[in-house]
Amino acid sequence: MKHHSRTVNSVALPIVLSCALFLMAGPLMGQQSSSESKSPKRVSASSIQIEAPDPGHVPLPPEFRIAIYENLILQIEKTGKFQHVYRSGDKDAANVPDLVTLRTTAQAFTEGSQKEREVTTVKGATSLTVNVRITDHAGQSIVDRDIKGKVVLSGENLDATYDFSKKVAKIIRETF
Amino acid sequence: MRMQNPVVSDSVATNSCREGRPLIWTRGLFLAVVSTSLMLSPVLTRGQAADKPQMAASAVLQAPVQLVVGGQSIKNNSKGTLSVVGSSLQLEADGKKFSVEASSILDVTTNKDTRQDVTGAGHLAAEAIPYGGSRVISLFSHQIDVLTVEFRDANDAYHGAVFAMAEGKAASFRKQLVALGAKTTAPPEPAPDKK
Repeated sequence: MKHHSRTVNSVALPIVLSCALFLMAGPLMGQQSSSESKSPKRVSASSIQIEAPDPGHVPLPPEFRIAIYENLILQIEKTGKFQHVYRSGDKDAANVPDLVTLRTTAQAFTEGSQKEREVTTVKGATSLTVNVRITDHAGQSIVDRDIKGKVVLSGENLDATYDFSKKVAKIIRETF
Repeated sequence: MRMQNPVVSDSVATNSCREGRPLIWTRGLFLAVVSTSLMLSPVLTRGQAADKPQMAASAVLQAPVQLVVGGQSIKNNSKGTLSVVGSSLQLEADGKKFSVEASSILDVTTNKDTRQDVTGAGHLAAEAIPYGGSRVISLFSHQIDVLTVEFRDANDAYHGAVFAMAEGKAASFRKQLVALGAKTTAPPEPAPDKK
């Protein structure tokens, strides 16, 4: 019996130790790889100017256009990545040397119904897809992505613009 | 037995007639008062209605609204009073004031939307109703008007604000702002049908 328990210990101990090492090292490796993949190089800029959204060929209602613009300004200000967040047309932005500009163009829009969403839980979603393009002072593209904003279960239709602007703020945090 | 019943019934009948007279008079008087008031009420209402346009012309246009977005110092979703004072659009909410000159408005548009009747804490409480009972509450909603205003500030910076208000209110704001010099891309409203 003694011999048997010694054998079990000699086999089990290295396995347990190697498992523990693997578990400890795993998150560290994950952190390294995620930080490498998420932010290959961060761009530095002191200020950003948000241009008014371009509806493109999409029949985007004015309240959605304005909600996109105003929510974007609020969320980008919240990131704290820039000293100034300038609005479209602001005269003061012209003198900033390292200014980056964010332009949005609507790609798709589906207006749902709050009642339908909350009653059926599967229908009536409001969604919008907007192309987000951030360029530097020389016009070089820093970000060029299509971002989707949606409200699926509960909430008002305009909440889709809030969802969109939160996603853009996340991209800003990762890029700057 | 035969004689007793008619006598008793006769006396009762005469007594009731005599005692009933004041009651009938009271009822008559009551009916006269009610009918007179009903007859006069439309006249009074018409008289008040005739006074209203004069009042409306002199008073500022105002309505309770909810600021959806774009109130600068005022928080989004704050409830307040929107009014057209002088030549500017003003919002007062949470003890703060936000004002836009009509001449600086680039576009003012109106639209329709719906809002749930039960919101906030009531809506959260409804979520606890078993067997999806909260969905029934979601059926109760009402139409609202949405007023969107786009403007430039003194520094030429572009701003926008969205207000939600009771149905039928936004059009009068748009009309008044356009009359005060605001621009609009929306086509003018068709004249109401005269029947």
